[in-house]
Amino acid sequence: MSRILGWLAALGLAAGLVMAFGVAPREATQGNVQRIMYLHVPTVLVAYLAFVVVLVASIAYLWRRDPAADRLAHASAEVGVLFTGLTIAAGAIWGKPTWGTWWTWDARLTSVAILFVMYLGYLLLRGMIEDRERGARYAAVVGIVAALDVPLVHFSVYWWRTLHQPPSLLKPGPASMPDGILAALLVNVVSFALLYAYFVAKRVTILRREGEVLA
Amino acid sequence: MTADHWGFVLAAYGLAAVALTLYWRHLCRRERELSKMVKASSPRLPRHQA
Repeated sequence: MSRILGWLAALGLAAGLVMAFGVAPREATQGNVQRIMYLHVPTVLVAYLAFVVVLVASIAYLWRRDPAADRLAHASAEVGVLFTGLTIAAGAIWGKPTWGTWWTWDARLTSVAILFVMYLGYLLLRGMIEDRERGARYAAVVGIVAALDVPLVHFSVYWWRTLHQPPSLLKPGPASMPDGILAALLVNVVSFALLYAYFVAKRVTILRREGEVLA
Repeated sequence: MTADHWGFVLAAYGLAAVALTLYWRHLCRRERELSKMVKASSPRLPRHQA
């Protein structure tokens, strides 16, 4: 299963690169630097997905005390942190030529940085507590509380005056972009979602084996 | 005509490629280590029972 997901993700990423650099048109106002969007937007959408999975799996763990739910939450949080880090890095690299700065304490950037630090804290907490059951319980609570920042990140561009543009996807009404750009973006969203699923499947297997070895 | 800033595009995609590859390799390495540990810890049966 994991192997199939891996191949699908690899094919998807290759298709995403072709769409981003070969099919999508050059954006009129920003030029080719706008092609960073095909990396920046999919990684943040997949990070949202990862943290929603952490939220659901953490609630499931606290309710049923099923170690499988805890492993899923742990794996999803780790991959979510990776994708959030990539979002922040790609955004900073895109910000320099377009805004004239790598970073600014804007509502969107600050809320996503808080999200990154909270889930980094979640992973550190798991590593600090030796009792696995207690660590899983505390982590589940942190995972639920930290997920509250996801809507804050997404709607920050509406609630505060920000330098960051409003969402291109996940907004009311149709997407505000030409078909070529939208198609390239959607292919990349799907391929990054497949990559997320592959990484999570692999990480869950590792966590299960680690549990077996330690038992 | 707007400048294209290809260097920034390359930096963003290059950084993502490096980070994702390193994470993938880390997962593969850990998987191999655990397989070896499981094999090493599993009790070996005597030849006549194997």
